[in-house]
Amino acid sequence: MNGKTFALLVAASFALAAPAYAKDELHLYNWNNYIAPETIKRFEDTCHCEVIQTYYSDNDELLAKVAAGAKGYDVMVPTSNAVQTLIRGGQLMAIDKTAIPNLKNIDPAYLNTAFDPGNRYSVPYAMSTTIIGYNDVKMKELGLPTDTWAVIFDPKYLVKVKGRVTVLDSANELFAAALKYLGYSANDVDPKHWNEAAAVIRKAKPYWAAFNASSYIKELTVGNIWLVHGYSNDIFQANQDAEAAHRPFHILQGMPKEGAVLAVDNMVIQKGAPRPDLALKFINFVLVGRNSADLTNLIGSGNPNLDAMKYIKPEILKLPAVFPPKDIQAKLEQLKDLTVAQRRLRNKLWTEIKAAK
Amino acid sequence: MRKSGPWLWASALVAYAFLYVPLAIVVVYSFNDSRLNAEWVGFTLDWYRKLAGDGAMIAAAGNSLVIGISASVVSTVLGTMAGVAMHRYRLRVLPLLILAPIAIPEILTGVSLLIFFVMLNVTLGLVSVAIAHITFCIGFVAIVVRARLAGMDETLTEAARDCGASPWNAFRYVTLPLITPGVIAGALMAFTLSIDDFVITFFTAGAGTITLPLQIYSMIKISVTPEVNAVSTLLMLLTLVLIVTAARISPTLLRSTQESTS
Repeated sequence: MNGKTFALLVAASFALAAPAYAKDELHLYNWNNYIAPETIKRFEDTCHCEVIQTYYSDNDELLAKVAAGAKGYDVMVPTSNAVQTLIRGGQLMAIDKTAIPNLKNIDPAYLNTAFDPGNRYSVPYAMSTTIIGYNDVKMKELGLPTDTWAVIFDPKYLVKVKGRVTVLDSANELFAAALKYLGYSANDVDPKHWNEAAAVIRKAKPYWAAFNASSYIKELTVGNIWLVHGYSNDIFQANQDAEAAHRPFHILQGMPKEGAVLAVDNMVIQKGAPRPDLALKFINFVLVGRNSADLTNLIGSGNPNLDAMKYIKPEILKLPAVFPPKDIQAKLEQLKDLTVAQRRLRNKLWTEIKAAK
Repeated sequence: MRKSGPWLWASALVAYAFLYVPLAIVVVYSFNDSRLNAEWVGFTLDWYRKLAGDGAMIAAAGNSLVIGISASVVSTVLGTMAGVAMHRYRLRVLPLLILAPIAIPEILTGVSLLIFFVMLNVTLGLVSVAIAHITFCIGFVAIVVRARLAGMDETLTEAARDCGASPWNAFRYVTLPLITPGVIAGALMAFTLSIDDFVITFFTAGAGTITLPLQIYSMIKISVTPEVNAVSTLLMLLTLVLIVTAARISPTLLRSTQESTS
C-alpha cells in the first residue's frame, strides 16, 4: 500500500463519519424510554425539526460527561440534586421564562425548591417515588400491611416473607427509607440517627433475599419476589408485565404512611447549547398538558403538570404512589446531596451493612 | 499424538460449556414470545420484526459499523507500520507509545480523550469516537503483526533486496504477503474491539451519536426485551461470518503454527 492509497483511505473513513448538520435538530440528553414516541412525533411536526436523543442511565454519567466538557446537548433531564450540581458548576443556561408561558401549568408545589430557587435554570418534567411494591395475592394471604415501612424493616412481619423481599442496592435510598421508618427526615444528617437506621437495616437484612436495583421488576412479575423497596415507575412496569403475561396476581404500589423519597427530573438547557431557541420551544411544548400526559400514560411516572390531569388514564390517576394525596405529599422528600464527610460516614456504614452476616 | 485422558475431555467440555452456553441461551431466548423474557413461553420471530422497524437500534448499529470499519482500516494500516518498525529497528520509545494505550485503563483513556477533544474544540460525534477507537486498536494490531514477523524468515526479504527489489517492493511483494494472516487477524481484532467498546465510546461520543453498546446499556434499566437478544444474535452471526471468511482467505490464520512461513 502506498502513501496515496493510505491518505485516500483515511479521507474516506472520515468522510463516512462526518456528521451532518444541515437540518434543524434538537439534541435531547435523556433517560431511556423517558419520553413518549408520539410526543416526539408531534413536536417534530410543529417545529419542522428532528429530535435526536442520546441516553444516560444514571445522573452521575451525565454529570461526569458534562463536567469533562462534552458539548452539543440542548435539553437534558437530570434529577433535582444533579440540577443543583450542574448549576454550581456553571453548566446551565438560564431559562427565559417569557418563552415558556406554559410554565403556569406546573403545580406550584414543585416550583421554587431549594435545588433551584426561582426555577432560574430548571423546569419540572416528571417524577417518581421510592415506595413498597408487592404481590397482592401473597400479601393478602399472609395478612401483611403494605402501607408502612415496617413491613420492609420489622422482623415481626419479615419472618413471614423471609427470602421473598428485595431492597434497592443504594445506600442513599435505603437509609432514607430506614430514617423515614424511624420518624426522621430522609435528609437527616445526625450521625446518631444514621447509626439507628443502620441498626434497623442490619436487623432486617437476614430476611431479605437481595439488594437489587435492576432485576427486581422481573422477579416480581415472575412471582419469585413478593415484596420490594423500589421505584414507583418500576413497580408500575412490573404490574403491566404481569398483566400482559396473565399472571394470577397483580403487582401493586404501597405508599408508606411514614412518607418516602421523591425524585423529580427537570428539563434544563446546557450552557452553549447549539439551539437554545429549539430547546425553549421544546420545553414549552412538553409543558402542554396533553404532551406531558403521554409519558405518564406510558410509564406511570408522576406528573407535576396540573393541565395534564384530564388526559391521564383514570387508573393511573388514582395510584397514590404516582399522584400522592395532599397529606402524603407533605411527607415526601427529595434527597439532598451529602457533603464529603457525610458521604464517607455513609459509605462506612453501608460497607459494614453489606459485610455483615 | 498424545493420548488424551477422560480428565482432559471433561475439563475441555466444562470450559467450552462455560464459554458457549450463555451465548446459546441468548440466541434461544431471542425467539421467546414474552416481553419479559424471564421464562420460555413460545416461539416467535416478532423480535426480529420489531428490530427491523426500530429506527434507533438500526441507527446505532449503523454507527457501530461505520466506526468499526473506519477504526479497523486505519488502525490496521498504522498498526502494521508500527509492527514492522518495531520488528525491524531496535526502537525504545515507539513500542512504549504504541503499547501504552493497551495497558492504560479504559476509563482513563476515555476521560483524557474527551478532555483533549474539548480542548481542541473537536465536535464530538462519529469522528471523535473513530479516532478514539483507532488510538486503542493500533497497539493490538501492532502486537499481532510483530508476532507474525518474528516467525518470518528474514532471509526472504534479504534475498529480494539482493535481487534488486527496492525496499518498498521487497515489503510489498515479499514481507506483506507473508504477514497477511497477521494483518487480517489484527484487523478483525480491531473491528471486534471497536464494535463492543463501551467505556471509551461513552466519553467520546457526542450529542446524538449512539452506538450499539451505548444503546443496549441505556436500555438495561427498564426495557431489556428479547429485542436485545435479537440484536446480539445478529452481531454474533456477523462475527461468525467474519471469522469464517478470514479463515477461508487465510487457512492458517486461526492456527498458531508457523507452517505458512516455512
